[in-house]
Amino acid sequence: MESHLAGKTVLVTEASGKYGAPTALGFAREGCNLALGTSGPVDALSPTVEAAVELGAKVITGTWDVSVEEQVGALVSRCTDELGGIDVVVNNATVPLAADSVEEIPFAEWERKMAVELTGTTFVCKAVLPGMIEREWGRVLNYIGLSGFKGNSAPDAAVDLGLVGLARGIAREYGRHNITANCIGPGGVESAGEMGVLPFPPSDGDAVPRWGTPDELAFLAVCLASRDAGYVTGQTLLANGGKFFL
Amino acid sequence: MDTGLAGKTVLITGATRNHGRASALMFAQEGANLLLCTRQSMDRLEETARMASEYGVRAVSQLCDVTNEEQIDALVKRGVDEFGSIDVLVNNAGWRARGSLLNISTELWEEAIAVNLHAPFLMSKAVLPGMKERRWGRIINYSGIAPFRGASGQGTLKLANEGLTRAIATEYGKYNITANCIGPGSIAVERTPGQESGGESDSAMADNPVPRQGTVEECSAMVVYLASEQARYITGQTYLVNGGAHFL
Repeated sequence: MESHLAGKTVLVTEASGKYGAPTALGFAREGCNLALGTSGPVDALSPTVEAAVELGAKVITGTWDVSVEEQVGALVSRCTDELGGIDVVVNNATVPLAADSVEEIPFAEWERKMAVELTGTTFVCKAVLPGMIEREWGRVLNYIGLSGFKGNSAPDAAVDLGLVGLARGIAREYGRHNITANCIGPGGVESAGEMGVLPFPPSDGDAVPRWGTPDELAFLAVCLASRDAGYVTGQTLLANGGKFFL
Repeated sequence: MDTGLAGKTVLITGATRNHGRASALMFAQEGANLLLCTRQSMDRLEETARMASEYGVRAVSQLCDVTNEEQIDALVKRGVDEFGSIDVLVNNAGWRARGSLLNISTELWEEAIAVNLHAPFLMSKAVLPGMKERRWGRIINYSGIAPFRGASGQGTLKLANEGLTRAIATEYGKYNITANCIGPGSIAVERTPGQESGGESDSAMADNPVPRQGTVEECSAMVVYLASEQARYITGQTYLVNGGAHFL
């Protein structure tokens, strides 16, 4: 299937994250150039950068705190200068927060998570949308999780559904500019887990009783960004082996 | 993007035009062989098959009433004889039960439930044993926009179809068989006389987030994606292709 993404520029907000590297490389395989952000040391992105360059992609990297609007503006400007405008943005910045009970969540940790995952994602969208509007083409993809549907972690659940709301708002407001916004909702996907904990492990009662893989999610991301997905917008596409139906 | 569909066999019901034809051609481009059926126009079905075969795949056409179990069994048997297996089932054939609840005649309701719900059930029953045996299968059913608009006839049947889809997903996931729905919104299609919906031209779509009708190719791209090897962890879901008309 032809994605028609060759030559597009893709920004991944946390390229060292669970889905960051496989998603970035999925786009590199389609001939995209990459802007890879991370909140940690950029050295951690080296294997992804090397693999993407091998695939022929031009790549820039940068460290940032997406909750600081000036830093978001700076990386988006550098990307625009060096690679051209951002055509696809993949929002996947996360701040792990263990939360067994709402009562036990320290407010400072809650606030930090919301600042990065909700406010930061909003800053990123605000920074990339003007260019997308100008070029009359764009794709916004938010990685969320299963917590918003299962309700098992209040901070994660709040962020998940907050990002669903953000995607719907962008979908409604900017659809006329050929810009779509959607959420990808994995559940039970194997990877180096946040704080060593992998939520939603497979059980015998699951429709697909195994771990999902980040590569399976990356392929969905590429499909949603493709030319022929232009009529899919404001949606939340769950990929969880049948753990939850939407 | 490699969908991993080359050499697979795809059964598409109602493949004479619109979604069915567009999906057939897109699967053909992926290298999949086709088993196509209609109960209406063999001329148009064979035209679809000819168009598909230009991509170097084999396409078999057969007349089949998808509400008739014997005809379905014969269709599936022919597919297995010709291709060895049926790997993907696209239950595309549909019939619109339009009108308000009090205005839908019993005859129209029975026709609609037969085509929109009984047929996917019977077709799935017919192909699932083979899929189980080979530990690989994809079933794609059609929901739509009616449940979100609250249309009583079509809305009932589309959500019933989603329920069937979830049940198949749950029961057969362990065999590497997925079942999902695609939910098209207002799509530019050729309608059967008497089945027109009206008022869905681009000019009537001004309030839609994507202010135009969709195309059958855009829907088919989602169908092909859901059938792809890489979509193996997605099951029991309904993916809407509606330009943001409704959000799920």
